[in-house]
Amino acid sequence: MDDLWPVAVGVFQAWMFVVVFFIMLPAMCGLSLGVTSVYIQILVKILEWATLRIQRGRQEQPSVPVPLPNGIIERAGGSMEEEMAPAGAEFSLSDALFFYKEGVESIVDDQVTQRFSSEELASWNLLTRTNHNFRYISLRLTVIWGLGVCVRYGVLFPLRITLTVIGLSWLVIGTTLVGFLPESSVKTWLSELVHVTCYRICARGLSATVHYHNRDNRPQKGGICVSNHTTPIDVVILANDGCYAMVGQVHGGLMGVLQRSMVRSCPHVWFERSEMRDRHAVTNRLRAHVAAKNKLPILIFPEGTCINNTSVMMFKKGSFEIGGTIHPVAIKYDPRFGDAFWNSSKYNMVSYLLRMMTSWAIVVNVWYLPPMTIQEGEDAAQFANRVKSAVAHRGGLLDLDWDGGLKRGKVKDSLKEEQQKKYSSIITGQSDHDSSSLTT
Amino acid sequence: MGASHTRTEPNEFQDLMDKTGFSVEQIKNLRKRFLQLSGNEETISRENLDSIPALANNPLKKEIINAIFDKRNQHESEVGSFQEIGFEQFLMVMSHFRPPTLKTTPEEKEALRKEKLRFLFNMHDTDNDGTITLDEYRKVVEDLLSKSGAIEPATAKGIADAAMLEVASTNVPHMAPDEFYEGITFEHFEQILKGLEMETRMHIRFLDVGTATMRCGRSTS
Repeated sequence: MDDLWPVAVGVFQAWMFVVVFFIMLPAMCGLSLGVTSVYIQILVKILEWATLRIQRGRQEQPSVPVPLPNGIIERAGGSMEEEMAPAGAEFSLSDALFFYKEGVESIVDDQVTQRFSSEELASWNLLTRTNHNFRYISLRLTVIWGLGVCVRYGVLFPLRITLTVIGLSWLVIGTTLVGFLPESSVKTWLSELVHVTCYRICARGLSATVHYHNRDNRPQKGGICVSNHTTPIDVVILANDGCYAMVGQVHGGLMGVLQRSMVRSCPHVWFERSEMRDRHAVTNRLRAHVAAKNKLPILIFPEGTCINNTSVMMFKKGSFEIGGTIHPVAIKYDPRFGDAFWNSSKYNMVSYLLRMMTSWAIVVNVWYLPPMTIQEGEDAAQFANRVKSAVAHRGGLLDLDWDGGLKRGKVKDSLKEEQQKKYSSIITGQSDHDSSSLTT
Repeated sequence: MGASHTRTEPNEFQDLMDKTGFSVEQIKNLRKRFLQLSGNEETISRENLDSIPALANNPLKKEIINAIFDKRNQHESEVGSFQEIGFEQFLMVMSHFRPPTLKTTPEEKEALRKEKLRFLFNMHDTDNDGTITLDEYRKVVEDLLSKSGAIEPATAKGIADAAMLEVASTNVPHMAPDEFYEGITFEHFEQILKGLEMETRMHIRFLDVGTATMRCGRSTS
């Protein structure tokens, strides 16, 4: 036992040396040793090989099913007007057919429910968790998969855990220290430095490779940054490239410690649970923050919940009522290297982070869009839709009008009213010339 | 998850295939959807269907959900409705919406058409007495039209009455003015919808998995 102890200490020292000098310090300075890009290139080659093997395997074993990314039925895509018009007459029994067919179609496959579960890939990225139909295809593939498991759990995972722990403790310590300084430009500069370096370390802790596009459109002070939401890691991804003021609920536990220390060095906006219910109070506080032009831009996710990164759901208009310039950002995760979506009903935060840290890597594309402001004659909801379309278009995501809140709640009856009104106007429009037959 | 061989599955689904006419792939896809809707349980209840957002939009949602749970649509002679349905019953209901393939003979096509008409008829005839009475018909019209005031209740009633009158005059052309038209029977129903292209209006194209080309990464859609 005594002999082992010095050996263990030595190993630990070597480990820390590697971590600190080869990963942490370059990360803090924003430099890269190029290891990650080489790693990603090797990964892509391996995944391509794996896909070809699977393709060959599928041809030999036709009973292996192929996932259908667009849903399991082919929709004819006719609108209400198109289907009714040929009938020409007034209300007839066959009009009901349109609604029956639509109804059964939505039972078989609908656009919303599939957004709240992870995307199914057309190919396999050697993580069992993403292949819902894992079948034994070939020995070589299974061997590679086994090697992958060893590498991910044995080598990458401890490395990442170390980095994250270092990063988070650095955040807490650094911000607390900076908080002791009096208000001055030095303090602001230092706090930005602490925040950015900490997030860079955390990003390394996830093996995240982020490609920023259009960096000249980066959010400025006094603005509001909005983005689509896939996972809590979005915050780390965005904060790697600039300092933001976070908005959120006050939590207890570890999150609470982080929140309290962060707010010491630069102003973030944390709400008590009771305050969140009062929309006006929330809007006023945010407005006051934005009005002080020297404060950091606020980061808001208007969808309100995590979506699986294939589409963008309705942007809640509350964020767009604050005023000020909106800087939209589109974030798209590359699903080949790991599924970043947080399915909060399936996994809690800790198991989610563990999954993240045992994926291959996280490769993200971030596009900064040019700033937008509300125009004359536009109300907040229309403005929100405009921003949402721009974000969806840039990120290559599907633009949906459904509310992300449907993950947990039911549809409001008012939506059904809309459909009824539409149908009624078709009927009355056609029956107008024949009104005499309606009087009984 | 783990490696599993697929030898046993085709036999499991064989009798489902025979009863409903779906292919193995379609049954597997529908099974996944069934489990998604039921929350990984073996049966679906009305609440599970209620939570589909696109269905909530539909003015005839109640009728559609009732039709799914209706025992008459199971090709057996029972009446009434289920509280919950299992996968086999789910498939039976969905099979009403299958389009005819190139291999269907004219007699089979006729039988399919009659089946679809029967399904529709059952949706309207809620008390299962074999006729769609004026009240039942009015109910459907009311559900379709808006309660918000775009159409007044009197107008809605008028529309239903007028449509009913037209049906009566088509089917019983020499009805005396004081005779009471009980309701639309199944034969009359068939008569009214004779000209209608059931094949296009009431089918859902279930995708069959063909030879998809695979690329590494997401398929661009």
